[in-house]
Amino acid sequence: MSWLERLAARAPVPVYPLLGIGGERVLYELALAGRVARVDSPRHASVLLVAGHVPAQHHEALKRVHDQLPRPFATLWFRSQPLPGLENARRADDLATLADELVALHRELHTGQRGSSPRLLPDEPPNPWQGLGDDGHGGEGMMGGTPYGRPMAMNMQDDIRDGLTLDSLTFRLGPFYPLLPPGLAAEITLQGDVIQSWTSLSSAYPRALDAIFQTAREQPVSIAELELARARHHLRQLYLALRLAGLESLGLQALRLARGLTPASRINGLRRRLMRSGFFNLAALDGGVLDAEMARRLGGPAARAAGIDADLRRDDAHYRRLGFSPVLSWGSDTRARWQQALGEIEQSLALARRAVDEGDPLTAAPGNVETPCGPWRDRPSPAAGGCLDELLPGLEWDSALATIASLDLAPVSASPPPGEASAESASASSGSHEEGAP
Amino acid sequence: MELLTLLVVLLISLGVGLALQWPELRRRTLPSYSQRAPFLGGGTPDSHAWNRYHIRYYPMTLLLIAFEMEMMFMYPWAVVFVEKGLMAVMEMGMFLAILSVGIVYAWREGVFKWQ
Repeated sequence: MSWLERLAARAPVPVYPLLGIGGERVLYELALAGRVARVDSPRHASVLLVAGHVPAQHHEALKRVHDQLPRPFATLWFRSQPLPGLENARRADDLATLADELVALHRELHTGQRGSSPRLLPDEPPNPWQGLGDDGHGGEGMMGGTPYGRPMAMNMQDDIRDGLTLDSLTFRLGPFYPLLPPGLAAEITLQGDVIQSWTSLSSAYPRALDAIFQTAREQPVSIAELELARARHHLRQLYLALRLAGLESLGLQALRLARGLTPASRINGLRRRLMRSGFFNLAALDGGVLDAEMARRLGGPAARAAGIDADLRRDDAHYRRLGFSPVLSWGSDTRARWQQALGEIEQSLALARRAVDEGDPLTAAPGNVETPCGPWRDRPSPAAGGCLDELLPGLEWDSALATIASLDLAPVSASPPPGEASAESASASSGSHEEGAP
Repeated sequence: MELLTLLVVLLISLGVGLALQWPELRRRTLPSYSQRAPFLGGGTPDSHAWNRYHIRYYPMTLLLIAFEMEMMFMYPWAVVFVEKGLMAVMEMGMFLAILSVGIVYAWREGVFKWQ
């Protein structure tokens, strides 16, 4: 083994996480693990981490991503069933030891104890060589030809922005694109960096909220705990958005805060750093303005960011006794939604503190639960995926991705994936809060 | 003698260059076809990625050229300024006025808006 391979084996593991149903929890764990570097393209990864169940209709897409990792690479299946042909791949079920498993797998791969994962797709050109045209590429050249049997991007649509007509580029993105929610796939036409059309092909995988929201539907639960779970959810969402904005260290601060959240936690430090970093001044946050009807359909913080005064907690007598009234913002764009999220985190922490001071009251009316993404719906809201088709055309790419990150598009699933509840409580009890002094 | 040395150096560098390009030496295993396809998170493209797109910095470059041109004319102007005096100042004033129309236009087009 060469010294170069030995060095490579000791480096942080470049992991591409491919998220299935209930897999997003691993992101937060790995982000804080340290020895693992999450990469945004399989080309930079040496381990493919498949986290959560992947439905059969997305197996082809999974194979495509799998085959895009450069050799030698390995796969780790976390709470997931390996695809046929990968029976020897390593599996893991415990979130606490996941980082160790990844490091061990990477070492084995580079010390030669484990061979590379086999290719799943045949190694043949998607559009074969046709032997026609000037260079044998099968077409008539740049204007209107079909080199390799695949047409050139040509100007098929009028420009919707400034009259500068550019070629339209049509492709399907997802369901494992790291900047979209897991499961969300769409057919997109771009002209330059402006979205001409967005057609959702599959909606985001259902996401399990903290177990306490499910319990709250059946029986009274502690308001303090419910509010901490709500704040934790928003902080994790904020982490994803900050990472998208290139402010990863700030995102990690949000994540560390979420891990050790107690009623005594404060987000003043985080808010200050957010303001200083210029996050709220990003031009990408200008877009994604929801009209009143769409905001009402989405519900939750997205509606309250548009000034719609709707919150089920108001119907709860014990919340009213704690002096609850919904936080509202006006603007209904992406910036307003993040300001709303910060406001709601502060409100949840304040409510939790007040609840602890008043002897930790329980919720008064189980049944109707206001989750962090809006009122609990038994069936996924049809609005979520479809709203992108109306909202995104005309936006620039950065603005569109920032809009998607600010919306909770995944339907809420009724049951958390196995092992999730215990992992959650373990991490909550072991963590220490970061900026806790009241 | 010197020419001969140069010739030898030229031949050696050409030889090394050619040797590096030798097909047998250059042969590397190409990545598989699925690796060569663009990464779309499991999605597939419809067309080639070779297309005309919007160069966002284009107005900024035009503006830079406007200022560059101004400076280019300033140097010879500084030389004749001593002889011509006020007339040269007026001529340069007219030139700068025309140039500033370009800057006003660029301003209207939103070049100074930071994105």
